[in-house]
Amino acid sequence: MTQTDTNRVSNELAISASDLGRVFQTYKKPEGFKASLAGFFNRQYEYKEALKPTTLDIKRGSIVGLVGANGAGKTTLLKLLSGLIHPTSGSARVLGHEPWRRQESYLRRMGILLGQKNQLWWDISPADSFALLGRIYGITPIDVRSRVMELAEKLQCTEQLNIQLRRLSLGERMKMEIIGSLLHRPEILFLDEPTIGLDIVAQNTIREFLMEYARAERPTIILTSHYMDDIAHLADRLLLISRGAIVYDGTVKGFMARADLKQRLKMRFEDPLSSAVTAGKGEYSIEVGATVADIAVNGNEVSAVLKDILGQTRIAELQIEQTNFEDVIHEFLASESRRR
Amino acid sequence: MSFWRRNLAAARLAWIQQFEYRFNLFVDAILQPVLTATVEVALWYAMVSGIGDGDSLGGFSRAHYLHYALWAAFVARISANWMYEFRMGEEIQSGTINVILTRPLSFYQFYLSQFMSYKVLTSMLSLTVPAMIASFLIPGPTDLSRLPMACVLILAYLIMAYNISFIVVCGGFHLNRISSITTAKNIAIWCFTGELFPIDLAPPAVKNILLNLPFSAGVYVPVGYITGRCEADLVLRSLLMVLVWAGITGLVGQLLWSFSIKRYSGTGA
Repeated sequence: MTQTDTNRVSNELAISASDLGRVFQTYKKPEGFKASLAGFFNRQYEYKEALKPTTLDIKRGSIVGLVGANGAGKTTLLKLLSGLIHPTSGSARVLGHEPWRRQESYLRRMGILLGQKNQLWWDISPADSFALLGRIYGITPIDVRSRVMELAEKLQCTEQLNIQLRRLSLGERMKMEIIGSLLHRPEILFLDEPTIGLDIVAQNTIREFLMEYARAERPTIILTSHYMDDIAHLADRLLLISRGAIVYDGTVKGFMARADLKQRLKMRFEDPLSSAVTAGKGEYSIEVGATVADIAVNGNEVSAVLKDILGQTRIAELQIEQTNFEDVIHEFLASESRRR
Repeated sequence: MSFWRRNLAAARLAWIQQFEYRFNLFVDAILQPVLTATVEVALWYAMVSGIGDGDSLGGFSRAHYLHYALWAAFVARISANWMYEFRMGEEIQSGTINVILTRPLSFYQFYLSQFMSYKVLTSMLSLTVPAMIASFLIPGPTDLSRLPMACVLILAYLIMAYNISFIVVCGGFHLNRISSITTAKNIAIWCFTGELFPIDLAPPAVKNILLNLPFSAGVYVPVGYITGRCEADLVLRSLLMVLVWAGITGLVGQLLWSFSIKRYSGTGA
C-alpha cells in the first residue's frame, strides 16, 4: 500500500483491504477410539480457507451489515479488521493502521463487542469494570461516570451498574458490554452478534439504541447478526458472505429490488378446480381437483393466477404474504452455498 | 504516565477481585499456608526431635530447623505462580484473551501487574502469621529486621517466575492445552527452591548446583537469611542472579509472544 493510499484511507475511508485472506489449520480427527489412537501418532491436518482473498473499501461513518451463514467467514473478517488475528495473505488498513500490529493509537480508536464472549470482568460490577476501562483509555473518572450514566439511561440499565456482572441476566450483561465498548467513543465499532440470544424486548431496545447512537456520533460500524431485522434497520450497506467470499455488496434496498421477490398465496376454494393452474413458467402449479393451495408466485403473476382460478371457482379464503428480507437472504445464501 | 496508569489499574483489579470473595482470600492467604506450615513443622519436629538442646545437625540447632520449616511453608506459597499461569493459559485456550488483545493493553503487563498486586496483598496477610508465631510461640533464630531484604529478593524472584510462566503460556498458542506443562514445571522448580529441605543439607556438589540456579531465591535464600542460615552476601548474589535471569526470560518471553500471536485464531469469538 502506497503513502497516497494510506492518506486516502485516513481521510475518506475507514477500512481498505486488499486480497485479505486467512487460512486456518485444523486437526482432522475421525470419530472413535481407533481413530483417536491413530491420530495420536499420525496427525492429519486440513487447511480451511475461512476468508478468501477479499478486497474491500468502507467509507467513514457508514454502517455495514455483514451477513452469512455460520462458518461463512464474517467473524474471521471482523477479527482480522479488529486486529485480533493475523492474515495469511493480503493487507488492510483500518483508520490508517495495520490492525494486527495492535498499535495503541489504533486500539484507542476502535471498539469491539463480541456477543458470544464477555468483555467485562466477570467477578466485579460493571461500574468497577468501567472505572478500570476509563483508566486503560485515559478517561478521567468524572468523564467515565457521566458517559456511563448517559449510555446506561439510554439503555435503561442504571439499576444494574453496581451488581456483579455474573449475577446479571443475558440482556442486562449485553447492555453493559455495549457501554464498555462505547465508553471511549470509538471511531470504528465492530459489533459481532450484539443481540444474540436476547428476547424481543431487549433486541428492540439495543437496536433502537444503536440507531440513535449511530445517528448522534457517526462512528463507522461493522455489524454481524443472525437477526436480519438488525441489519435491515441499521445497515446502509450490506455485505453477504458465503464460503469465505463476498457474494453481494450493495444496499439493503438494492438487494431487495434485485431479489426475485415472491408473494405467497394461501387459498381455499368453494369447489375443486376443474383444470390445473400454473405460474412461474410452470415452476408452481395447482393440480386438478385441488380445494386448497399454498404457492409462491412472482408479484406480477398474482393477478393472472387469481383470474385463472376465479374463472373456475369462487375463492372462500385468501391470504397473501409478502416474502420478507430474512427469507430472501436465507434463500440467496442457500443458493450461493449450493452453487459454490 | 499512561503506562503506570494502566498497570496500576490492572493491579487494583486484582485487589477488587480478591475482596469480592472474602472467604476465598482468607483460605488462600492464611488457612492454606497455616495448614502447610503445620504439616511441615510437624514433620521437621519429628525428624529433629533427637537433637538435644545444645546439639546441632549440619551446624544448626533444632530451633533453626523448625523456624526454617515454618517460614519456608509461607514463603513457598508466595513464590508459587501456578494459579496465574493456569489462568493465563486458560485465557488463550478459551479465547477470553480477546478482551485484552482488543484494548490498549499488553497481556504480559496486564497479568504481571495483577500477579504482583495479588502477591503483595496475600504476602502482607500471610507473612504476619510466621512473624507472630516466631515472635511469641516458638522462640528461635528468626530475625525480623532481615525481612525487608528477603522480601526484595522474593519480589525479584516473582518477576523471574512470572517470566517463566509467560514463556509456558505462549506455548498455549501452539499446543492449546498447557496445564500439564505448568504442573510439571512447578514440581521441578519446587524441588530446586529449598522448600522440601534446606539446600545446605544437600551434598556439596548438589548444593553447589542448586545455589547456582536462580530458583533457590524462591525459598532457601530468603528463608535462610531470615532464620540465620545464610548472610547478606548470598542474598545479594542471589538477587543479582535472579535479575539477570528475569531479563533473559523476559526477552525470551517477548520473542516467543511476537512469534506465537501470529498463530492465534481468535478462539470462540
